Order: sequence, then C-alpha cells, then structure tokens
Amino acid sequence: MSGPTLQDIDPDEALQGALASLCGTTRAGFLRTATLGGGAMLAALRTPAVARAEVSDLEILNFGLRFERLQAAFYTEAEELGTIATMSAAKQQWAQTLGAHERAHVRIFKKVLGSRAEGRPTFDFGSANATDAAFTRTAVAMEDLTVALLTGLAPIVHDRRLTAALMGLTTVEARHAAWARNIVGSAPAPEAFDRPRTLASVRGAVAQTRFVVKPPKTSSRRRPGFTG
Amino acid sequence: MARRSRTAAVVAVAAAILAVVAAALVPGRAAHVRRPVRASALPAPVTPAFVPGAARPLGSTRHLAHWAPVRRNAVVRRAPDAGAAPVTALATSTPERTRNIVAVLGQARAGGGQVWAHVRPSMLPNGGTGWVPRSVLGGYETVRTLLTVDTARLRAVLYRDGRPVLRLPVGVGMPGWPTPRGRFYVRNRLTRYRSPEYGPIAFGTSARSPAATDWPAGGYVGIHGTDRPELIPGRISHGCIRMRNRDILALAGRMPVGTPVLVR
Repeated sequence: MSGPTLQDIDPDEALQGALASLCGTTRAGFLRTATLGGGAMLAALRTPAVARAEVSDLEILNFGLRFERLQAAFYTEAEELGTIATMSAAKQQWAQTLGAHERAHVRIFKKVLGSRAEGRPTFDFGSANATDAAFTRTAVAMEDLTVALLTGLAPIVHDRRLTAALMGLTTVEARHAAWARNIVGSAPAPEAFDRPRTLASVRGAVAQTRFVVKPPKTSSRRRPGFTG
Repeated sequence: MARRSRTAAVVAVAAAILAVVAAALVPGRAAHVRRPVRASALPAPVTPAFVPGAARPLGSTRHLAHWAPVRRNAVVRRAPDAGAAPVTALATSTPERTRNIVAVLGQARAGGGQVWAHVRPSMLPNGGTGWVPRSVLGGYETVRTLLTVDTARLRAVLYRDGRPVLRLPVGVGMPGWPTPRGRFYVRNRLTRYRSPEYGPIAFGTSARSPAATDWPAGGYVGIHGTDRPELIPGRISHGCIRMRNRDILALAGRMPVGTPVLVR
C-alpha cells in the first residue's frame, strides 16, 4: 500500500528538516524516498548507534516534559480554535482523546518534577493545526516521532522505576501513532521493530521542528507614554 | 548372528545403566535440565515511578481568549482575501518598543488554501476587527482572564475562568477626555521606569483615546498606578485607567499580557 508522503503530512517541512539531519542526508534526498505507507518514516528515524548518554534522570524527565508540552499544546490549541470541531465524529474522538492523554502526561511530569520542572516553552504551530488536513498530517508525523523519541529515552534513565513509567508512556504513544496512521489509511504497524535513539538526536529533532520559539517581548522598562 | 545381537543388547543396557549412575553421582547435573518456570516464581513487574492520572476532556473554552505577536508588518483586511479592502496597518512593535500583539478571534481558510486569522488590532476608530494571513502572526497564546472596567461605577473587576478574583476602585477619564468604551486587550507591561505619576507598574492597552490623537506616544490608554491615590475613585485622567499602587501591584500578579479588557 502506498501511503501519504512525508511532504503531505509536513507541508511546512519542519519535521522533514529534523529527520533529514538525523539521517545524515539532505532534505531533498530524504523526500525522494520517504513514504509513510512503506514505513520509511520510522526507518528514517533510526540512528546508526545508540549510545548511553551521560545525562541525569532530571534532565531526561524535563526533556520528556518539554515534548509532552509540545504535543499537548498542539492538540489543545486545535481544540480551542475549533479545528477539531470541523472533523468527522471519529476523528474528533481521536483528536480529543490524544489531547486529553497528552495533557495528563504533562500533569504527571510536572507533579514528579515539582519545583525542578522547567517553565513552559512558547510554541508556534503556524498553520499546522489550523485545518483538518494540516492537523491530521502533522499529528500523524508527531505521533510517529514521539514513539521513536520515547523508545530512546526509556532505557537511558538510571532508575528502573522511571524506565517502567516511561515504558508505560511509550506503549500509549505507540497506540496513538497506530490510531493516527489508521485515521489516514496508512499501515498502523509498518515495521516489526522500532529502534531507539540517542537523547542528542531527540533534542535536535525537537529543536528543528521550529514549533518551539522565543517568547515575544511584551514587557519593557521604558517610561510609559500613555494618556495618563 | 544371534550371538552378535545379544552382545549388542548387553552393551546398550550397560551404557544406559552407566549413564543413570553417572547422572545420580555428579552433583548439579540435574539442575541443567530445563524445566517449565512457575509463574509464581517470577519477580513482580517493576513498579513505575509515576502513573498519570485520568485523562480529562478539555472542558469549556467559554472563558478563554487568544492573542498572538505580530511577526511582520501587514495590512489588516476586511475579509480573508488579499484583495479585500484594508482596515488598518499592523506594525510589529509598539511605541514602548515591545512586540505588538493582536487579539485572535478565529481563523478561516480562504480560497487557495491560505489560512487567515480574524484579529482585533489596536486601531482608530476603536473596536475594529479584520483579517491577516496566519503567517503574519507568531504562536497563539491563551489567557483565562478578563478585566472589566465600569466607567459609571468607577470599578474594575478581574475575572479568571469567569469568576471574579479582584474588585478594584479606579480613576477614569475626565469630562472631555473620556476613557473609550469597547473591547480591548492588554498589549504590554512596563516596569522599573522613573515616572511616579504612573506608579510602579503600567499596562498598555489596545485602546486609543479619540480625544488624544496628537498625544506624543499615540494616545494609547494605559492601566497604571499613581502618585495621587487620594483622587481614586474619580474622573481624573486623560483616558487612562488609574489605580492605587497596591491595587495595580495586586492586578499585576494576576493579569497576564493578552487579557481582554471590556470598558463600559
């Protein structure tokens, strides 16, 4: 079955740039071969080696929080702005369920991290969640990416209990990815194995989505010039 | 032939007996024999360090409002169409050198597939709305707060999720310099300046005084503190909304940039 291409699901090329850099190929070269239906996207996410990163569990959890926030913001914004309300009943259930799950993930990460939780980043999804088609394409790509990210994160925490918790999130995200792929008529489980990734590559992928931006400057020390 | 068969049988029996004896005499030999593992002998699964709570639906969005920074100069148009009549120009920065922002009221996809945002900009006459391409704006932000200003009763109320959280006396525009009525939003927040007449904190709003168009900084209406608290509540300003300093500080702790402001 020939599935949608990555170009279809990522018109802004935010994810494509990230994936291309991870695969060590050019964006154009990557696009020539990438199709979702053939499972090439997950294949493309694979990295040649998995190195155990010397990072603290705190850092890993904060990274997990950052990514969960990205997902939760994506779904929540689409729901608040009414994009999801324009979808079919089945797609609404899918999108709202995923949004609710991601918000639950954010809450638990924040609770676990407490005062050590990093602040909420500023997001700019552009038109990626503004229409049914754009939202769906991006959600499919995001869920596939999330599975690859968590598969890489879970084994590198030092505490086995944290590994167990992250595995619980990973399986749920894998269900999300399969559900998302099913929504667009793509193979829910195109590969027999999903390879893990290094934390550095995960960071790079998130950075290059360009969904995380600098907050706008809305405060100043200038003397007010208001009407008084 | 029969004798050879008997010999072979004797050798086979002897070998079997020797194997049994050896197995019995060598300690641990039996331990290498694979036996089915009893489920009850397996260790319990590792207890997860955390388990998320129940997934909850988003709930009502009735009290939410959205805003977005302006990424590039643009023309606000009457309809989501590049050929539609212009409403006003949109700049990227404010007179206070902060990023200009607009209230986002909705969005739509126009012909050709381009997404447009329905926005409320700061403009004269006050209260106008229009459309800009989505790409003109940065990321959307959400606020749960609303500030209402009652110019008749000289009171402001800050709501969060639809519930009042602060009620404050205010000073508003004097006769001839009325505080404009309508729907506006908080554009920026100024602190640590040296102007006692504005108190410790000042918020810039999208409201503009029609009577102060020649005001040096454009005649924007602010919400700020004062060095004359005894005049509050009252009709004392050139359009700004003044508060006692302790009140503006309380407000500052609860009112984020982007908060809608309803003046009536």
